[in-house]
Amino acid sequence: MLDARDLSKVYGRGKQRFEAVKQVSLTLHQGEVLAFLGPNGAGKTTTIKMIAGLVRPTQGRVAVVGEDPHRQPRALRHIGAVLEGNRNLYWRLTPEENLEYFGVLRQVPRKVAHRRGLELLARFGLEEKRHTPVQKLSRGMQQKVAIAVALIHNPKLLLLDEPTLGLDVEASEMVKALVRQIAQEGRAVLLTTHQLDVAEELSDRVAIIRRGRIIAEQSTESLLKEFSSSTYHLEVEGDLSPQQIHTVTQLGATVQGTQITYAGTPENLYGLLGALSPVPLVSVQRDRADLTQVFLKLVKDQPDTSL
Amino acid sequence: MIDLLHAELKRTWIQFIRYPTEVISGIVIILAVFYGLFTSAQYIAGPGFAFGDRLDSVVLGYAMWTLIISVNNDIAINLQIEAETGTLEQVFLSPYGAPRVFLARAFASLALRLLILIVVLLLLMGLSGSRLAFPPILLLPLASLLMAGYGLAFLLGAGALVFKRVQQILGIFQFLLLFLLAAPLEESMGLIQYLRFLLPMLPSTGLLRDLMARSLGLDWFTYGLALLNGIVYFALGLFVFRWAEATAKQRGSLSGY
Repeated sequence: MLDARDLSKVYGRGKQRFEAVKQVSLTLHQGEVLAFLGPNGAGKTTTIKMIAGLVRPTQGRVAVVGEDPHRQPRALRHIGAVLEGNRNLYWRLTPEENLEYFGVLRQVPRKVAHRRGLELLARFGLEEKRHTPVQKLSRGMQQKVAIAVALIHNPKLLLLDEPTLGLDVEASEMVKALVRQIAQEGRAVLLTTHQLDVAEELSDRVAIIRRGRIIAEQSTESLLKEFSSSTYHLEVEGDLSPQQIHTVTQLGATVQGTQITYAGTPENLYGLLGALSPVPLVSVQRDRADLTQVFLKLVKDQPDTSL
Repeated sequence: MIDLLHAELKRTWIQFIRYPTEVISGIVIILAVFYGLFTSAQYIAGPGFAFGDRLDSVVLGYAMWTLIISVNNDIAINLQIEAETGTLEQVFLSPYGAPRVFLARAFASLALRLLILIVVLLLLMGLSGSRLAFPPILLLPLASLLMAGYGLAFLLGAGALVFKRVQQILGIFQFLLLFLLAAPLEESMGLIQYLRFLLPMLPSTGLLRDLMARSLGLDWFTYGLALLNGIVYFALGLFVFRWAEATAKQRGSLSGY
């Protein structure tokens, strides 16, 4: 669906020269959600806009379903986008009018755009608001309309720049559910967000960008596993006998009341469990890193190669 | 392309009509300014002065000025508003390409402007007692006038894309336009008689005055030059607009304002 190769973007000249994006490559397949993460000013939005044909790369190329949006405007038929900091909609127009207008703007025949618009409004639960000007809708509803508009021409690639920014919990959950549905339909979704829990929930893969350069790109699951430690936390019901405490400590665990922490191999864990018998177990949990920890570690640990 | 034109007409009309007080106040302001100009000119000239043809020229010049101001500013102002409100990048995501979309928008807003102009002209004639002739042949110089007008609109739009803040230029431009449109340079002699064909819109406005205020026929040779003037300025506008789009994408400043 998306094949972006060695994208670089340089702004200004001489002393004002600033390399915003350095040799970024991204690929995205059908039905895949890629979370594109990075601190403010890292180059996320510039990269997304280069993919959408809105910012011309200094070097590199973009192919969306094999077509380059910078050379072939019809490549834009495959791209839907909701851009951050933008309204993305005409506020004086109703959701129905916005959908029909943007459908035609994306080369969908008018009648088809109208029909698809009504279908999307029904699917997004916006039927009752179809005749209300967008400016009178809540922020969450406006965002749903913006996503519906981005889908009106049935694009293969959806670019979502901070789709849950400024939304309350309920609206944010709604948008997350929509993104899942959209990916299940077989569309590729490129998502940027500062809400790392959102990225962790939605993404199949994660790419982390820092100072214009990609510093990590792999499947979300393997990234989390890589950064998860092999420490186990066990809780028992009732006190351990002095003999049990001795055995458990010998196996490398530490005991604090009913809480036991063990950082040995998974095989020895069973020896530890045997030593605890017959005291009832309340829980056994392995430490699992979340995306926030991974992100902070990666972003802080990377040496600054740009200096 | 027909669908795009239809969609732009619908969008322009809905955005125009959704808040009717804006529409009415806009027309009232144009009329009030004209009426102020008209009555002060009468006061200076004295009650015995008969405007005659000159009054018709004043009415026509002013009506054209309001039309061309709105046409000229149309693309630049809308580009800036859309950059501020955050719809501009969505427009540039169209597979039609920005020049075609803005051309369709130009036609749509022209239809609306012409409608407003007809209303304003009728009201002006009622207020001033002026009687203008409307022979169908006037559509020809009107077309060449609008081509040059939209050429300038694309040039100003290109300025808005690259330089962003263009309100100051648009403000000054209005007065320059008043001179270009209302001054009857076709009556002048010497070098200006020829130079006027190089300036945007001037040959067309002279022909319109001939047809509507002086009840003269259409001079086809002059019209050929006026049409050429319109085509050249329109093509120049589109060419510079394409360059400005490429420059804005290069600078990454499409959505800036």
